[in-house]
Amino acid sequence: MNINLLLRRMRRNVFFISGVLIMTCMVLLLLCLPSLLKYDATSNALTEKFMPPEYFSRGFDGHILGTDQLGRDILARIVAGGRTSMAIALVVVFFEVVIGTTLGLLAGYFGGFVDTLIMRVCDVLLAIPNLILAIAIMTVLGSSITNLVVVLCFSGWVQICKLTRNNVLVAKNMEYAKASQAIGATNTHIMFTQILPNVTTNILIVASQKFGQAILTESALSFLSLGIAAPKPSWGNMIADGRLYLTVYPWIAMAAGIALMFCVLGANFLGDGLRDVFDPRH
Amino acid sequence: MLRYIVKRFGQTLVVLFCVSVIAFLLIRLAPGSPALMLAGDGATDEEIAEITEKLGLDKPLITQYMMYMAGILRGDFGRSTSYGMQVIDLVKNRFPNTIKLASATVLFGCILAIPLGIIAGSHRGTIIDFFSILFALLGQSMANMWKAVLLIFIFSVNLKWLPSIGMDGIEYYILPVITLGWQMSAEVTRISRSGMIDTLHEDYITATYAKGIHPLVVRWKYAFKNAMCPVITCVGLRFGTMLAGTIIVEAIFSWPGLGQLLNTAVNQRDYALVQALLLLSGTMFAVINFAVDIINSLVDPRIKLK
Repeated sequence: MNINLLLRRMRRNVFFISGVLIMTCMVLLLLCLPSLLKYDATSNALTEKFMPPEYFSRGFDGHILGTDQLGRDILARIVAGGRTSMAIALVVVFFEVVIGTTLGLLAGYFGGFVDTLIMRVCDVLLAIPNLILAIAIMTVLGSSITNLVVVLCFSGWVQICKLTRNNVLVAKNMEYAKASQAIGATNTHIMFTQILPNVTTNILIVASQKFGQAILTESALSFLSLGIAAPKPSWGNMIADGRLYLTVYPWIAMAAGIALMFCVLGANFLGDGLRDVFDPRH
Repeated sequence: MLRYIVKRFGQTLVVLFCVSVIAFLLIRLAPGSPALMLAGDGATDEEIAEITEKLGLDKPLITQYMMYMAGILRGDFGRSTSYGMQVIDLVKNRFPNTIKLASATVLFGCILAIPLGIIAGSHRGTIIDFFSILFALLGQSMANMWKAVLLIFIFSVNLKWLPSIGMDGIEYYILPVITLGWQMSAEVTRISRSGMIDTLHEDYITATYAKGIHPLVVRWKYAFKNAMCPVITCVGLRFGTMLAGTIIVEAIFSWPGLGQLLNTAVNQRDYALVQALLLLSGTMFAVINFAVDIINSLVDPRIKLK
């Protein structure tokens, strides 16, 4: 594909540009802020509870976004929670892509029994409401980061698998795949070096949407105190805490909600933008 | 047609079987004895022995599954430790409230989203199109709990226009329905928009235009019908998930439905209730899925040939 054409489409696409900007800002802030902030995310200071946001009136020394019911600095918690959420979402998306792509390649390339088996598993996983299944499993297993990652991956790979399979079905009948078969290339070689590079764009698009979804599901579970458990901060459990004080101290819930919204919005903008850039027909 | 229905029915049965196996294994996967978990904290030895006997926990897994299914077919879902009632009675009480909320949401979402999607799809690249995409992206990017908290903050706390908890009248529906409906209409808008774009490129649409039929009639009569199949699927699936109880929204708005029940069950570690609700939601989802496919094959007869 023509690089210049792609770059031109990227520059013209509002969603793509906003997505890149939002995600870059998010990542930079999450990486840089901890070294600038004076406060710790988990240390209580009961004399300083429910302080309203001071913004930058005291530079980086004050409680920029205020404090919560235990006097913890909200900005420090947002940053710490965001780092955990982002890290979890990255790991989850990585596993989803690895599992989904591998199974999708196998199903699409070999067809027959392998295909039927994998597709039926997908159908069953798609037929159970994700969030409820995640809630049920987390209730029984108890909340821990490992369980959280496993639960989020559990049915998340299905979409990627189906997408890869459908793309492989088309790609394996192309001349280049037939040609490498004719010169005696192994199945693994054809799957991973001939077909895979031709389906990566679509996987990339879905993966960036999956990233947003993973963050949303994780925060929903944390909101129900099934994900990241207090006192560890997460955007979900901060909204849950803040909800109780909404009438008097609204800033506790607002800050986490806005951070969550921008993060998911960034991922979705990026996904939509990428699709428009690579496949402008849709 | 009949062959298609029978085939889909068979697939639905397989899914239901898998759901029941997952619900069955859920309790047995947990660390600790299932009898202890189902009996709850502070259960006496007799109670634990009774549950062990009833579930056949000393028998092989296959027999246990048979006994579990036999119980369910008799309507015996076990006893809820947090409410001290039979699970089936709890679910019976709460289910109508969830149906009311889910129906209101679907109605609201469709009335808003289908026209929006169709107008956006028929006027690509215009300002309406841009705003419909933005509306959809915002709806999908804002977590339900955040939307709910924001709406309560604006309309209940600041403006004091609408109540934020309970279900004592029509005004209690507004905030939960907007919260859930926005997310649903986000999806429906996107799907009806892209369905419309695809359909408008088909030859038969060009033919109707060529006949000199008014563009509005072409869009809303001829293209609309074909663009609707994916929309029906999406609305059906959303309805299915909502019937299973929208745990977060119901918990925030204190809506006395299945979702709130699940929330209590999770907080109190009421495993019998969690298990029953998982089974129920899976069943609901599968049944609605089946219904949606049948409706779709009626709307677009080409589907059953595939």
